[in-house]
Amino acid sequence: MTISKAVITAAGKDQAHLPLQTVVDQSGRARSALELILAEVVSAGIKEIAIVVAPGEQDRYHAAAGNFASRLTFFPQPEPRGYGDAILRARSFVGGEKFLHLVGDHLYVSDHSQWSCAAQLVAVAEREDCSVSAIQPTHESKLRFFGTIGGSPVAHAEKLFEVTAILEKPTPTQAEQALIVAGQRSGYYLCFFGMHVLTPTVMDLLVEAKAALPANATDKPSNINLSDSLRKLIQREKYLAFQIQGQRFNIGETYGLLIAQMALALSGPDRDRILVELIELLARPK
Amino acid sequence: MRSLIDLIVSSEPAVRDLSMESQVSALTLPELLNQAELLDVFRRDRENLYERVRALFFLYAIHRFHLPTLVPESKPGKISFEGHHHFLHRRFNEAIDVFLADQERSGPSWAVSSALASAYHRLAFQTLADQVRKSVKTVAGNRWMFRMGNPDELPLRLRDELLQRDANLGYPMLRERTSVRMDFSHSAWSDIFFLGMDFPQGARVINASINLAVQGRHQTPEPPLDCCLRVIDQPVLRLVSIDLNAVVEITHLSQVFDFAADYLGLLKAAVIASGLVPAGLEGHQADIASVLRPLVGPGLGLEIVSRVNDIPKGSRLAVSTNLLGGLIAMCMRATNQVSTLTGSLTEADRRIVAARAILGEWLGGSGGGWQDSGGVWPGIKLIEGCAAAAGDPEFGISQGRLLPQHQVFGPAEVDARTRQLLQDSLVLVHGGMAQNVGPILEMVTEKYLLRSGAEWEARQQAIEILAQIIRHLANGDIRAIGAATDRNFSGPLQAIIPWCTNAYTERLITRCRETYGSDFWGFWMLGGMAGGGMGFIFNPTRKVEARHWLWELMRDTKREMEHALPFAMDPVVYDFEINDQGTQAQLLPGGSYPPGYYPLLVPGWLRQDIQSLSLETRAELERVGQLCRSSDQDLATRLIARILPGKADATATRQSLSDLLEIHGFDPIAHQQLREDLLAGRLGLAQNLLPATTTIEDVGDDDVVDCRQSVPHRAIDLGRQAIANGEVAVVTLAAGVGSRWTQGAGVVKALHPFVRLAGRHRSFLDIHLAKTQQAGRLYGCRPLHVVTTGYLTEQPIRAAVERWKHQHQSAGVYVSAGKSVGLRLVPTIRDLRFAWEEMPQQVLDQQQQKVRQSLRAAMLNWAQATGEATDYVDNLPMQCLHPVGHWFEIPNLLRNGLLRDLLLEQPQLKYLLLHNVDTLGASVEPGLLGVHIQNGTCLSIEVITRRMEDRGGGLARVNGRTRLVEGLAMPNERDEFGLTYYNSMTTWIDIDQLLARFGLNRTELNHSERVVKAVRQFARRLPTYITLKDVKKRWGNGQEDVFPVCQFEKLWGDMTSLTDVTCQYLAVPTLRGQQLKDPAQLDGWLRDGSAAATERGCDFVA
Repeated sequence: MTISKAVITAAGKDQAHLPLQTVVDQSGRARSALELILAEVVSAGIKEIAIVVAPGEQDRYHAAAGNFASRLTFFPQPEPRGYGDAILRARSFVGGEKFLHLVGDHLYVSDHSQWSCAAQLVAVAEREDCSVSAIQPTHESKLRFFGTIGGSPVAHAEKLFEVTAILEKPTPTQAEQALIVAGQRSGYYLCFFGMHVLTPTVMDLLVEAKAALPANATDKPSNINLSDSLRKLIQREKYLAFQIQGQRFNIGETYGLLIAQMALALSGPDRDRILVELIELLARPK
Repeated sequence: MRSLIDLIVSSEPAVRDLSMESQVSALTLPELLNQAELLDVFRRDRENLYERVRALFFLYAIHRFHLPTLVPESKPGKISFEGHHHFLHRRFNEAIDVFLADQERSGPSWAVSSALASAYHRLAFQTLADQVRKSVKTVAGNRWMFRMGNPDELPLRLRDELLQRDANLGYPMLRERTSVRMDFSHSAWSDIFFLGMDFPQGARVINASINLAVQGRHQTPEPPLDCCLRVIDQPVLRLVSIDLNAVVEITHLSQVFDFAADYLGLLKAAVIASGLVPAGLEGHQADIASVLRPLVGPGLGLEIVSRVNDIPKGSRLAVSTNLLGGLIAMCMRATNQVSTLTGSLTEADRRIVAARAILGEWLGGSGGGWQDSGGVWPGIKLIEGCAAAAGDPEFGISQGRLLPQHQVFGPAEVDARTRQLLQDSLVLVHGGMAQNVGPILEMVTEKYLLRSGAEWEARQQAIEILAQIIRHLANGDIRAIGAATDRNFSGPLQAIIPWCTNAYTERLITRCRETYGSDFWGFWMLGGMAGGGMGFIFNPTRKVEARHWLWELMRDTKREMEHALPFAMDPVVYDFEINDQGTQAQLLPGGSYPPGYYPLLVPGWLRQDIQSLSLETRAELERVGQLCRSSDQDLATRLIARILPGKADATATRQSLSDLLEIHGFDPIAHQQLREDLLAGRLGLAQNLLPATTTIEDVGDDDVVDCRQSVPHRAIDLGRQAIANGEVAVVTLAAGVGSRWTQGAGVVKALHPFVRLAGRHRSFLDIHLAKTQQAGRLYGCRPLHVVTTGYLTEQPIRAAVERWKHQHQSAGVYVSAGKSVGLRLVPTIRDLRFAWEEMPQQVLDQQQQKVRQSLRAAMLNWAQATGEATDYVDNLPMQCLHPVGHWFEIPNLLRNGLLRDLLLEQPQLKYLLLHNVDTLGASVEPGLLGVHIQNGTCLSIEVITRRMEDRGGGLARVNGRTRLVEGLAMPNERDEFGLTYYNSMTTWIDIDQLLARFGLNRTELNHSERVVKAVRQFARRLPTYITLKDVKKRWGNGQEDVFPVCQFEKLWGDMTSLTDVTCQYLAVPTLRGQQLKDPAQLDGWLRDGSAAATERGCDFVA
């Protein structure tokens, strides 16, 4: 089944401004980060895109979307109730279809000669006809930033894994006990890439999670976590993870935008120029 | 006969569990050598841990016990220096290759077999240690810590809850309270890692987590282990041990890995094992702030506090492992590595904490069993080894996993009534002894692998007893449990390791039976051995009175035996209750410290300029002030006691020391001269050596009289006649305390009842006196027997001799009082470095060696700070004195008039048999006496064939002259390995010739001044050696520090260097000349027939 819808979450606390920042893309053109994300989505054949934003952010996002603005539908998240709740806001938008989901604070650079990261993922999800999370081997010192999966390689399918466990931001102690995947380098784990194709079952699980929240939690509302629902998804239906040929850059981290910008620049035609500039910077006395 | 390899590889228990002894006892020498060769090839290429280790133990046993019975002792053989050098540097495989080549070249011999036995033995334990280390590192959840090589990679972050600062109380505090574990049975030490990993089906333990109260100190039982963690506003890692009075603020990463620099090694091990400072960072040159910044935040640090609630060391309740477990659990909670911040841990969490505790034990250079962190779990549980399965790191290497599984007994297995009954019946005590259980654990491993018949049978019994205890727990039958633990102790445990009991424990048990009869339900050994933590089960109706009675009994028995056994403290009795929760954590407001924290920390803060203190510390001081002013008078009193310490104790110690020095004939002028010589470099370890140009060669056949096989009948007759005529007396040297025997504990080795012979525990002195008794019975006249003493041993030995005389209704035993004493000195840095860097010594296992290096650095600092060659006075007065060497013990007989009195009482007395107290084979042997008489020399010295363990000089031609040379004087380490014979120290002395050499005769012994002058003049002809000895300083609750101190000695063997003293050398059987210097020798001594031979030579009175 063809995947034609995508949901981008960008409503997180301290996150709203991130997609609105300006970066220079591989071709040397200044664009907003949001525009790059949308380009990534569209490259995968997506037609309609929902963006979950904090209340009042819609206009700024619309303005920053460039040529993609016409494809967007906005869903405000009235209060920060977690990642899962943000996705759930777009339930009506996705209807009963599978959808591509990306986080709004990541930029992606594909290592594949032809396909973007999102396109790689969507192709696998369409072929396998199930939920697929994009993953990337990540050093254990970075585990605190990512959801991490445990699983086993799928026979005769390169870089594809059957997911058996998920821990959100584990310590290496937990990861070693529950998330070792055969064939990975020692000290590396398969962490989420910030990009998933999800089936409608995930929306159902998020609804169940919301229903299970304590009714009187008024002082400090409980959050709905996507990882918890994905963990339940393992029990419900086929759920795979695919190791993308590419890199993700969290622009919310310290120096995250800078590093993402460098990666973009170094993957384009201005690579040599950037390298010369860097060497000159390095050669200067501290 | 089956091949020994069959015993190792067979999957059939009937074959696999055959004793090795049963298979080799009938072999000829070539057959045995062939088996050894096959085993050696086999062990080299096997991957399986068990197969390699069992083959190594078989090879050890062949060379230690079996081959020597097939090779004549007189067959020449020498231990190669190259092999020994490899051995000392832990290159055991290379050492074995060299020794095997020696054997191939010269044929089998006692000497080479002893070297091979030692090397195989060490290699076996090294292989085990390596495997445990590897397994600990590869436990899932532990591996990442060894990969972290840079502080920038540190993945852990402190939980947000701990960073929520309160304006008034500062940062909150995480407090973890943990119980200790008490084992009902460990199925004969089946919790040793190797047993658990090789024999998982037999590795079973039941233990209970218990809270404790020391009677007289605490009101109600509580978890005795208490730890806290909080954020502080300085970028340091502050470690505090309240019970050890120790605080350190770590500013550099390297300090975390410096385990022996202070008393906080266990906290440091916890910091590393919990991953706060991962093990992979060892060697990284960074400030601790670079680690703390990602963990806690910029400018912030951590404080970790531990407190053991007055439980003395040696409790056998696994205090240190459980404290480590509690600390690790707390640190892992704080960094999100386990699932809960507060309350109980889940089973998965407890397992990772236990794995980390094992890692911590290994890092700290200690070692506990796999059940020891049982206090982290709740209640009563069965802990079992489990088979390794595919996917386990142990799979294919060992049969079982490193970590056991725990089954906590619920109410269905042990109901509430039974738990209460247990508490109402069991009197839990610390008997006061704190002994090293390490040698026992090595013996257990060795015996397990050799499957000696009786011991293997005993292991099966122990396993069955554990099953019975489970049934009795289910039935609520505490009386039956008491009977089972008692049966366990007196049966299988002692069958496997006779040394797990001692005379003190046996006395207590006997008195319990005598006094309480059927109301005494049984004895309960805790941990590795008895004497420290122990249990006595009484009828609940009599428990309260029995508890007090037992305390009095222990106190009185300890007073009676404290010179003979290594007591570390006065006995205590505990109240206890079963802890059904396991380790528990709470998040508390800042400032909720355990008692004792402020009295320890505040004086240090007050010594600093208030402006230099951090804001938090200043606020803390204000809070303490407020507490003192408002309610907490106890805190105020303790603070004042800390800030204004008394001086009475120190004065008393010095006073008593000066009294003792005066009483025991201390020579202050000679002492001052010694100090000056030490500081000037005229005396010292390097100056002990003979000149480098000295030639040292082995003796020839003509230099010794070989008495190993037989002596001429005529000599025997001559000797018999002399004994019957009353011409011989025995002199047992017992002035020293036997530092190695109890690691400097200062007990009287001669009186240590170390072995059960003829149904009772016997001391070295008991054995020597019993041998003299037998000589009297056999030859018609019991030789007079003199026991020489020194300042520390005189009174206890005199009392023991009086008891012996009373018991035997017999005279003829005399005590020779010491006449000289030295005062120990703080060693010079030069001597410490010489001892540790220049002299040959055994390199330890990797981590233990690191701990040793750290300790040595601390000792160098101590010597520097205290003052080189200053008087060592910071200990009990008796521990500051030292005997001045065994040479003085014969002159003392002259000076104190005892020899004169003996000659008056028995004028026909002509000969003395002088021997060390630990030479248990020495006896009045008529043949040897006859040889001595026949040859007419002043001295006849007994020597034995050198074995690997016989280090410290020997018989040599020194510059062409045959004499004994001390190891201290050997100018070249290599020379010692060219010598065939080792000095047993046993000497036959012709009294008149000896007196003549002193310029005296029998009549002149009445002139004390002449005697003193003669001794002084003679002493000048002998060298003075400087030695370093370990001395224990005890403090706190059974804590002990060991310091290297400097003392001087003159040694008897140097008599042979004097040209006017005629000597001959008698080669005697090893059984006769070997010495027991270390408790680790005991098991071999028992198994190789030495103990039985000793027993046969004794006439004991029941």
